[in-house]
Amino acid sequence: MRDYGVERDLAVYNLLLDVFPKEVFLPRNVFQKIFIHYPRQQECGLAVLEQMESHGVMPNKETEFLLLQIFGRKSYPMLKFVRMKLWFTRFKNVNPFPVPRDLPTDPVDLATLGLRRIEPDLSAKVTIYQMASSRDSTGTADPTEQHIVGIQSPGQQAALARHSPARPVFVEGPFSLWLRDKCVYYHILRADLEPPEEREVEEIPEEWNLYYPMQLDLKYGRSAWDDYEFDIDEVEEGPVFAICMAGAHDQATLAKWIQGLQETNPALAQIPVIFRLTASTGELLASSSGLEEPCPPPAQEEEEEEDKTQRQQQGQS
Amino acid sequence: MALVHKLLNGTYILSKCLKPSVASCPFLSTRFADYCSSSLQKPVATPGKASAQRNSAGGLQGDHQREVALDVTSPEEKPEVSFDKAIRDEIKEHFWRLKDEIVNHWIGPEGRPLQEVIMEQARVVWQFRGKEDLDKWIVTSDKTIGGRSEVFLKMGKNNQSALLYGTLSSAAPQDGENSQSGYCAMISRVPRGAFDRKKSYDWSQFNTLYLRVRGDGRPWMVNIREDTDFIQKSNQMYSYFMFTRGGPYWQEVKIPFSKFFFSNQGRIRDAQFQLLLDKISSIGFTLADKVDGPFFLEIDFIGVFADPAHTEEFAYENSPVLNPRLFK
Repeated sequence: MRDYGVERDLAVYNLLLDVFPKEVFLPRNVFQKIFIHYPRQQECGLAVLEQMESHGVMPNKETEFLLLQIFGRKSYPMLKFVRMKLWFTRFKNVNPFPVPRDLPTDPVDLATLGLRRIEPDLSAKVTIYQMASSRDSTGTADPTEQHIVGIQSPGQQAALARHSPARPVFVEGPFSLWLRDKCVYYHILRADLEPPEEREVEEIPEEWNLYYPMQLDLKYGRSAWDDYEFDIDEVEEGPVFAICMAGAHDQATLAKWIQGLQETNPALAQIPVIFRLTASTGELLASSSGLEEPCPPPAQEEEEEEDKTQRQQQGQS
Repeated sequence: MALVHKLLNGTYILSKCLKPSVASCPFLSTRFADYCSSSLQKPVATPGKASAQRNSAGGLQGDHQREVALDVTSPEEKPEVSFDKAIRDEIKEHFWRLKDEIVNHWIGPEGRPLQEVIMEQARVVWQFRGKEDLDKWIVTSDKTIGGRSEVFLKMGKNNQSALLYGTLSSAAPQDGENSQSGYCAMISRVPRGAFDRKKSYDWSQFNTLYLRVRGDGRPWMVNIREDTDFIQKSNQMYSYFMFTRGGPYWQEVKIPFSKFFFSNQGRIRDAQFQLLLDKISSIGFTLADKVDGPFFLEIDFIGVFADPAHTEEFAYENSPVLNPRLFK
């Protein structure tokens, strides 16, 4: 059914079930009811329903009526139908981050959807730095420009503005993100964790806002015996300043993204940007100095290995 | 059992193992297994015809289906070939464990003071801070039934997380038996006491599972299996979905234990009952979302805690249509 593209069409499944002869497979006396009446046919009906289930198609009243007519109320396909009705409705909204069924085909829209999903801050702004250039009708050349869509929240903008130019920021990627069955890749702009000596907590002076205190040092509710913290050190990672999704994963496209970011973050002009990109073919690259992870065994070829990086110094214009 | 296998292998391995391997070259044999506690590369488990989701009575004994791993040693390191030393060390190790158990019993459950265990409201059960933490897990894929998915487990960046990555391929194996394929799983090993007795986890004071993960947007399934001490229920497990968001930020997943539904042999059962937490044997993560392609999942730690706001006992009620016998 996948060849015809109708695997999620309920009407087609109903028509398929319509092929069965009605009222032939119904058990008529008690002996037929005890044993599975017409077992191969019931298995065939079960196979149709199983395919419906694996594609996530919800059966409707017509399916129920057809199954009643064909197999009877106590048959296995009918039982499976009741189970599908029950469990599908129970698990319909179980995904806290739902992805729409019909994904947009336009890569820019897909990138926007993906970026909004990744970035939990709702006040983040999505900027389209470059649209994919349209092809000619003759289709001679590939588009030289790929789309670049970026996202940055105001908190990240402020953090980037505060970042000292002495420490570089890294463009890491590409990391994969799956939206149902489409995989998109994103890059992040992040800095390394600051050593504890340089970490400064920004103190907001009390006169900044006279109406209500900006900092409250109260401990609400938790008494001395209530402790819900886990006894483990949290994984500390450097701050992420911006995320982008681009059509191509090479340095030229990402440099355009950085230039676009510079318009909203003028501080970025002074900060050196280092590109840490993994090869898109997934070949094993020699890890250069300064990386913490050991070299993986040569037998593996993965695309989104986060430790196989290639360090390229790139002075920022 | 262990002795004969060591003879065949000639390797110094600290292990409990299954029936002796008939194949002469055990490193390349994929059908027979070794429980290896010191592994250089994370072994991929290949139990004979067993799978995480779709369980069937395999050729090996029921309980040991989870305990197998393929032993792959790197060519540079020459394993010590000393049979007697291996036996002596293993015996010493087991007696050491026995002594620890007896001594710990006086201090409290598992060596921690009783007061601490009772008052505890959040416990870290599995963390990934070193290679020995990775040894507590087995990774399986549908290679056991002839599929083509690959899955690997290694330590992530800075030794602060574990990275489970691989490629999923739902090309069904052409063996006339399986029409669907394409899954991979990471299962925790059953905790063992002295003389390899099975132990279980007791989480009866907690009610939520807490995971700190970073995925790629794929939906995973968390499966919990109970201890199969007296009753043979090795194919039954409780599962629930874990939806990852994707992105560079860590994601906290909190799943209350009341949401786990019961399944046997990979299929949801009609008669549902809540997950009882006093004898948990292992937990596992499965990916089988029928989408081909590479995937990764980074796990920081797995813990359990008692959520005071969660009062639900069990999320699913039994329906009288499907289960008339329960409602008589």
